[in-house]
Amino acid sequence: MKNSPLLGKFRKPDGEPHMLGAMQRLTGSMRKYSEQDEVDYVVVGVGAGGGVLTQRLSRAGFRVVAFDAGPFWDTERDWVSDESGSHKLYWTQKRVTGGTHPLAFGSNNSGQGVGGSTVHWASFTPRLHPSDFQIHTLDGVGVDWPISYSDLKPYYELMELELPVSGPAYFPWGDPHGYAFGPHPMGGVGNALIKGCTNLGIEVSAGGPVAILEGSRADRPHCIYRGFCIQGCKVGAKASTLITHVPDAIRSGAEIRANCMVARVNLGRDGRVRGVTYFDEEGREHTQKARAVVISGYSIETPRLLLNSACPGFENGLANSSDCVGRYLMAQAGNVVLGRFGEPVRMYKAPPAHALTEAFYETDPKRDFARGFAVQTVGPLPIAFAKQMMVAKGAWGWGLRRVMMDYNHWAGFGFLGEILPHAENRVQLADETDGFGLPVAKVTFGLGDNDKKLTDFGVKKTMEIMSAAGAEEVVQEQRYAHLVGAARMGKDPRTSVVDQFGRTHDIPNLFICDGSIMPTQGSANPGLTIMALAARIADYLITQGADIFTSNERSDRISAIRRELAPPDTWGHGMPRIEAPVQPVSS
Amino acid sequence: MEAQRTDDDPRPIDPNTGKPIGPLAQPGYYQGYRTLDQRKFWDAKTREVVLERVHKVPQFRYFDDRQAALLTAICERVLPQADRDADHKIPIAPQIDKRLYEDRHDGYRYEEMPPDREAFPMALRAIDDMAQAHYGRGFLELRMSEQDELLRSLHDGKPIAGHDVWERMPPHRFWLLLVQDCAEAYYAHPWAWDEIGFGGPAYPRAYMRLERGEPEPWEKEEKRYEWAPPPGSQSGRYEPVGGQSEHHATPGQGGTH
Amino acid sequence: MTRDLLETGESLPPADDAATLKRDAEMADLHIREGRFQRWLALAAGLSSVLSGLEVSYEHYKGSYSRPVMYTPVILSGTLALAGVAGFFSRRSANTLLPAVSAITLADSVIGFYFHVQGIRRKPGGWRLPVVNIVMGPPIFAPLLFGTSAYLGLVASFLRRGDDGGDVVPRSASKAHWAASLSGMHETIDAGQDLREGRFQQHMVAATILASFLSGFEAAYSHYKNNFRYGVQWTPLIVSPMLMAAGVAALKSKRAAHTVLPAVSALAMLNGSIGFGYHVRGIFRRPGGSKKLLYNIIYGPPVFAPLLFAASGFLGVLASLLRREE
Repeated sequence: MKNSPLLGKFRKPDGEPHMLGAMQRLTGSMRKYSEQDEVDYVVVGVGAGGGVLTQRLSRAGFRVVAFDAGPFWDTERDWVSDESGSHKLYWTQKRVTGGTHPLAFGSNNSGQGVGGSTVHWASFTPRLHPSDFQIHTLDGVGVDWPISYSDLKPYYELMELELPVSGPAYFPWGDPHGYAFGPHPMGGVGNALIKGCTNLGIEVSAGGPVAILEGSRADRPHCIYRGFCIQGCKVGAKASTLITHVPDAIRSGAEIRANCMVARVNLGRDGRVRGVTYFDEEGREHTQKARAVVISGYSIETPRLLLNSACPGFENGLANSSDCVGRYLMAQAGNVVLGRFGEPVRMYKAPPAHALTEAFYETDPKRDFARGFAVQTVGPLPIAFAKQMMVAKGAWGWGLRRVMMDYNHWAGFGFLGEILPHAENRVQLADETDGFGLPVAKVTFGLGDNDKKLTDFGVKKTMEIMSAAGAEEVVQEQRYAHLVGAARMGKDPRTSVVDQFGRTHDIPNLFICDGSIMPTQGSANPGLTIMALAARIADYLITQGADIFTSNERSDRISAIRRELAPPDTWGHGMPRIEAPVQPVSS
Repeated sequence: MEAQRTDDDPRPIDPNTGKPIGPLAQPGYYQGYRTLDQRKFWDAKTREVVLERVHKVPQFRYFDDRQAALLTAICERVLPQADRDADHKIPIAPQIDKRLYEDRHDGYRYEEMPPDREAFPMALRAIDDMAQAHYGRGFLELRMSEQDELLRSLHDGKPIAGHDVWERMPPHRFWLLLVQDCAEAYYAHPWAWDEIGFGGPAYPRAYMRLERGEPEPWEKEEKRYEWAPPPGSQSGRYEPVGGQSEHHATPGQGGTH
Repeated sequence: MTRDLLETGESLPPADDAATLKRDAEMADLHIREGRFQRWLALAAGLSSVLSGLEVSYEHYKGSYSRPVMYTPVILSGTLALAGVAGFFSRRSANTLLPAVSAITLADSVIGFYFHVQGIRRKPGGWRLPVVNIVMGPPIFAPLLFGTSAYLGLVASFLRRGDDGGDVVPRSASKAHWAASLSGMHETIDAGQDLREGRFQQHMVAATILASFLSGFEAAYSHYKNNFRYGVQWTPLIVSPMLMAAGVAALKSKRAAHTVLPAVSALAMLNGSIGFGYHVRGIFRRPGGSKKLLYNIIYGPPVFAPLLFAASGFLGVLASLLRREE
């Protein structure tokens, strides 16, 4: 009795409805297009960018087919509350990584399946700061964005409602703002961060911003603090486009074609793309005709697809006349700082993401480097923690057994430092191929001088905070988090791949809508920015209407933000927010 | 059955008495804590996956017998389980075999490394050859301290005996791959969760005591005891992978934020 | 004797302080016995409504006001506070506005109880995981406790004011009462008459038992959530059943109503006050302490909860001063 729930054990869900969490169900059938249909848009990849864009376009009445290389998850049947059993959520196909500071992929930053990386993100959702959009002007490093913060601000605000984002009523950094959903309670790690920061007089944000429900909303229950965010949220409390935008996309008539790997984008003689060629689950090759194509494959697969789509006229890769496809790839310095406390912490409880400080975000002239960093909570589960100890302490054998027996005494902070864009950090094609015979990505990554100084300083500061929280022993593991760049946007077609609306400079009906278009990355987690950019790109495409399909003219005209395109669940929940004065949106 | 203590006794010791500890059904500071007892509070899919891990130990299919024996011996040094009794040893080598047989990987490979499926057989051969070259015996015939010494030289990035395999793949990279695989198999097992006091699966029932490391009603408070690695072992110390060299800049593997 | 005191009180010569105090206490006692404490009970209802309003506003903030209905107790508690104060100053308000707002608030608390039960059901595992989901879900009895001040307001609206004469008001007059005339039932009118005359001890004792159970239950699971980290966290779990037992005794025996009940009720009030001190201290001892004051009030020990526990003791004291139903 003591070891059983009230009415016996929990059974496997049966019956037809597709379960998207404890209370979310997809009923009704999805629209299916045939290969003969020329749809309006093909979207390649249903993650943060592709998910939001697909929802917007279909809600506006366009005929959309969205491809994803991975499965359409039934969260009740497919996901487990288990670290080692969650491998299938990550992009685990072959990739080659190298350079002076090689990046890790897979569980570190790459998703597969509908929802993409939002399925396994920790869901920290801070905005970029206004300064991030012009670091070249302000600090003489990196490059400016073709848009400013005020262009993106209304989309940030809207996305914070759509996910929604929980956080403090007043978030003091960057453009100060508040959140419509309340902050989360602290776990042991958050308490350590707050204690360490307040002891050092550093301002710290408790309980967010994270895209995890604090308070149920419509058919999604609130967080149960189980700590398995990165393994996919079976509860449905953590936002992923799988549960926030894809259901509305399907209801609005979009087709999500899962388990289909897009092999190349097809170019017509008129210099416009015609659709895509893809492999279905059984490995059969198909084509899908479309009047425009949007690639949302994220920073590795987007350039890979463009490079794999090389054709006469674009021998170096589609839309790559600038030679920028694959270049300026960025990851953030994501060192994990771990501290051992005398009293137990049990950091597996509560979402890994629940407190952060951006007090060091901006350039400080007193330091010998440009830009800054954030410090956030992390909550590695045992396997991740063992791997961290393997690197941070060189633990193996009895040493590993011993430090693991102290697992419950450790807390972890994630350092998040801005690494600047470098042309030589890039995605290329490797000599080897994947199961479909497509060349896989080869990634080269290294740090510049500013990056090293920033990381050294920031990690030291993060370790100081850990000590100030009362940790007796503090160690750190070098690591990189998040990916952006590799198909960056800009005003100059010679130095960028796409314009401010994700439209490739080379091909008028080929777009990119994901993190790869970001020219710089700040030290905020990129998810919210990718979604805000996607909503803005959608507004542009909808404003332009059929011109996208017929005209080679480029227009910068974009309507005012279309709040009516948000999923209906967005409205009628949460609190009024503290708003900074609204800045005019430039066009 | 108090055996005469020798340097070859693989069991950890009580540092105060010098007596060996174990073998135990459950080492660690959370005596009597069993995550598996909570399985009825897990969702069905999770229960299925975890119970299969416990009850269905995979057969060796990728490695031949000799390789399997070698890998098993190596895993016993990388994650020693001499304090666990025969009924409660966590299978590691079979899980590595399964991964390679199914050709599952982490989604990337370092450019200076061969694919995992080649790296393991290469390294197994090199390790056995190194044992022959340095000690004049195969790895399986080495004493515990010699096995540790040999493996530690890979950890340090300075193989105890030269081998052409290490020209083709950096020893510390293979070392990290190996330790990572062992950790992944060991700490995926509910018995390891009992050992370290981890809560295990948490859906639909999760936690209510989030702060100050308070245990849930079904968790146990920690009861620490002192122990030290067996005197013959070399794996109790903490030294950076690859020694103090450039290799220290080895990025971590797990996703956390 | 009391009647004499009342009638001659005005003309008594000024006495020393102790005598004045004694006389005031006797006056208050008499007023309560006769149900002539409308002003003060209206004020008590209003003030307790401020407390529960503050509590519900940050508790619902924790729930992100994810449903618009979650705003209703915040609005109603403010309204009830105003109505209570108005009832203190104006007889008219006490007899019209106060019962109306109280009745709506009481209905809202029942609706809130329904939503909270639903909220627990909706959590993963629902009622099959009653312990975890009660502890971590919406606080199941909080809406009913929220109704306590509304209940006080409703009772106050039936009472007489201190400056009303001691005369027994004719029964017909009670028909003028808003709530009584609504129902049109004789029992209600009789009950109303009893209330008017302070003859509702058993009624108030029953309310005490209920409030004590509700707040004791809340204390039990929230201290359980905290793993009874401090020994003192057990005390409300001991005092609450004691108060309930004293209440049951008082229902049966008039003697118990005047001895055990006030004693245990005073203990509960003391316990609640001490608990309030501990909760305040707990907030300041959280990570960040006063630098994260708002956050720590929200997620620290619920600062007003011990006062609501004390409020059940207050009901008990009040009950002990009343006369029993006829």
